[in-house]
Amino acid sequence: MTTAVASPSDERDALLDQGVTGRSTWGIVGRLLLVAAFFVVLMPFVWVILGSFKTGAQLNDPALLVFTPTLDNWREVLDSGILQAAGRSAFVGVTTVTMSVLVGSMGAYAISRYKAGGGATRFGILAAQVLPPAVLVFPFLAISFTLHVNDTLIAVIAAHLSFVLPVVTWFLIGFFDAVPRELEEQALVDGLGRFAAFRKVVLPLVAPGIGASAIFGFVLSWNDLFYALILAPGSAATLPVRIAGFNTFRGVELGAMCAAIVVSIVPVLIASFFIQRRLVRGISGGAVKY
Amino acid sequence: MSFRNRMLAPLLVLFAAAVGYPLIYSFYLSLTNYSIIHPKTTHLVGADQYVRAIHDPDYWSALRVTFIFVICSVLLELCVGMALALALQRQRWARNFTRSFLLSPMFVTPIAVGLMFRFLLNQQLGVIPTLLAKVGVTYDFFGVDRALFSLVVIDVWQWTPFMVLLLLAGLESLPRQPFEAARVDGASPFYTFRRITVPMMSSVLTVAVLIRSLDAMKVFEYVYAITRGGPGTQTQTAQYFIYQTGITFFKLGLASAMAYILLAMVMVVIVILFRSVERAKNA
Repeated sequence: MTTAVASPSDERDALLDQGVTGRSTWGIVGRLLLVAAFFVVLMPFVWVILGSFKTGAQLNDPALLVFTPTLDNWREVLDSGILQAAGRSAFVGVTTVTMSVLVGSMGAYAISRYKAGGGATRFGILAAQVLPPAVLVFPFLAISFTLHVNDTLIAVIAAHLSFVLPVVTWFLIGFFDAVPRELEEQALVDGLGRFAAFRKVVLPLVAPGIGASAIFGFVLSWNDLFYALILAPGSAATLPVRIAGFNTFRGVELGAMCAAIVVSIVPVLIASFFIQRRLVRGISGGAVKY
Repeated sequence: MSFRNRMLAPLLVLFAAAVGYPLIYSFYLSLTNYSIIHPKTTHLVGADQYVRAIHDPDYWSALRVTFIFVICSVLLELCVGMALALALQRQRWARNFTRSFLLSPMFVTPIAVGLMFRFLLNQQLGVIPTLLAKVGVTYDFFGVDRALFSLVVIDVWQWTPFMVLLLLAGLESLPRQPFEAARVDGASPFYTFRRITVPMMSSVLTVAVLIRSLDAMKVFEYVYAITRGGPGTQTQTAQYFIYQTGITFFKLGLASAMAYILLAMVMVVIVILFRSVERAKNA
């Protein structure tokens, strides 16, 4: 009698198919769907990259795929101070994320381990992430006028803290929940203080989670238009505000706009590739264990 | 102060400054006739701004537009997202790259997405209308009665990945046994999906739909980049309308009252979301 030993991968394949083999109708439909989705996602990126190398006349022919590329758009957009705007966006993102991680990691640890602050605190942290920004933006504007910090990055940083801080804290609660308690208990038995146990034992374990939260918080700040447009529309404009300024139908500026869009999306796309898997636990605050 | 409170205190202080104080200030603004140009003349007007907001037909129209936008976007994202998640679960060739690439739209700056699609769908300059014209179809994506749906399509392009991310995680963390049992019993794939997959994923589905709905409610960038509320007021969403009231017309008090009414409506959804998350976490 021969017993076929199913290797883990065979078993996995059988499970994945769930009675549907790759050759079945559903398997083919699934593949076609993925191919279609691939092109739907790809197309706008291709268009904007090609557009950034086209002249005004070439842009009038949208189906044009083969052409002599020009660097004029890139020269124009770099001269227009787009890199400075990107620098301002990066500064705002790094500042808000640093503050959020410092304060949020301690708070999230207390919430995850000791239920500090109770349900009200957890509710507040969740609600702040999904609050309509229209509720908070006018106070920020009025306060920034009173303090004479309107049209400065200080106003934008304060406003971005209102959503980056809760998002980062929420993410970290999910990651702390996943660390087994036994590790700190052992550290306490070994004579470490409670803060030392947190800093030397738990924090290193959630370092990947902190990295994912920090990157996600940065992406949110980098992408924000609403607060930045209202609080700093002028000389301290961040990258999204500058990009919104290319909003015109004239061909020459369309090329420059494409180049500016490329500048804004490349960093976040690269950053996002490293954190996608960890996002699930973070976004759901530990509700989806993945 | 105990250790746990010492750890929590800095967070609470910063949170109170960045969220709590503006939230209260906003409520105060909604009770005044605050004007950026003449801040000295500010005085309390009671519930006047709320009465004005409630009697403004444009405000109700903006809420209606937002509601339609949210329902259409989230439903489409849920269906397309589920189909893609099921397909991705079985897909093995270049697995990590395929997933990362298909998820990428959700990280792109929304104003950039809005501007890209404004020109992709533009009658004269756009690739899509040009291609459609070659097969004899003329379709004005931003015309009357169509613009709102085009904005929905853009939202679907950008945010279906969010659904895929959560639903795929949900699918992959399901236990195997029920599926094996269904297979042995000869259940059809559709039956298995409807009677096993969906019920077992209910908490993930709820959380994903609620988060996405709350997020879609904030839609601003696409409107700002493309239609500016038009044609007429057909794409004037709540966030855009409140922005206009406060920034273009300097009526901060009225705008704050409108924002607060919106918040009161949204709060119901937030409470449901909170309960679902807590329940899923303790399960």
